[in-house]
Amino acid sequence: MSKIFSPTMHLLVTLVWFMVALYMVFLYAPQEATMGEVQRIFYIHVSSAWTAFLAYFLVFVGSAGYLWKRSPEADHLAQAGGEVGFVFCSAVLVTGPLWARPVWGIWWTWDARLTLTFVLWLLFVSYLMLRRYVSSPGRAETLAAVVGIIGFVDVPIDYMAIRWWRTQHPQPVMAGGEGSGLDPRMWVTLLVTWGAFLCLFAYLMGERLWLAEAGRQLSAIRRGLAIRPSED
Amino acid sequence: MLNKYLFLAFAALWAIFFLYAWSLSRRQAQVRRELEELKNKVAAGPSSHSQPS
Repeated sequence: MSKIFSPTMHLLVTLVWFMVALYMVFLYAPQEATMGEVQRIFYIHVSSAWTAFLAYFLVFVGSAGYLWKRSPEADHLAQAGGEVGFVFCSAVLVTGPLWARPVWGIWWTWDARLTLTFVLWLLFVSYLMLRRYVSSPGRAETLAAVVGIIGFVDVPIDYMAIRWWRTQHPQPVMAGGEGSGLDPRMWVTLLVTWGAFLCLFAYLMGERLWLAEAGRQLSAIRRGLAIRPSED
Repeated sequence: MLNKYLFLAFAALWAIFFLYAWSLSRRQAQVRRELEELKNKVAAGPSSHSQPS
């Protein structure tokens, strides 16, 4: 498959985009009136969360594709989405409490949104553990695909949790009804930051997919070499 | 002065990204090395396949 950018160019674009995003987060976006500076964590926290949701969607698509067509490419997509998604979901769980401590006075509470995000992180962990520790060929992929599909149920519920239930977590900034929303400069900053995260996500996915494909080729060559002596 | 929670959040974020990128590049380097070794084995001829490395 031909790439639009070489990986080096992609990484360069990502770094420049992150610099622009950082400029906007710290210098362009206005300071929030009640929370002060600590509110700026919001831009990286929300961007990480949206990216983690997207990653799990790719796990779902890849898993469904694998169960339907038994295609290794679909399995690679799910595997890469699971691993990179785990990274972004971990970022959500680290940045959230660092915002909550000064604003709420506590690091964590078991409200619906936080609990469901923690469950999403556990789903990423169990998906990756299944892939690592089930060794029989084909079985690990199939079991992981089942987890990938069933676990996806968590994503829309997690996203809607702050709309459906009264939670400690702040109300949605997007389509949240009366009284919700952001200053236009905060909106632009959030979208630019999320763009940088998506660019990094695409880069990491590309690199992880390369690794999966190279690993498959390596196994195929090894199998070929192992068979050859007995054929002679 | 930069708020300590703000600093910690950004520092943790970069640490997570760098750790993952580092782990990914290590695994890629290992696969490249193994592919190279296999290519060399194949290039050396069929008799070398059963030789211990």
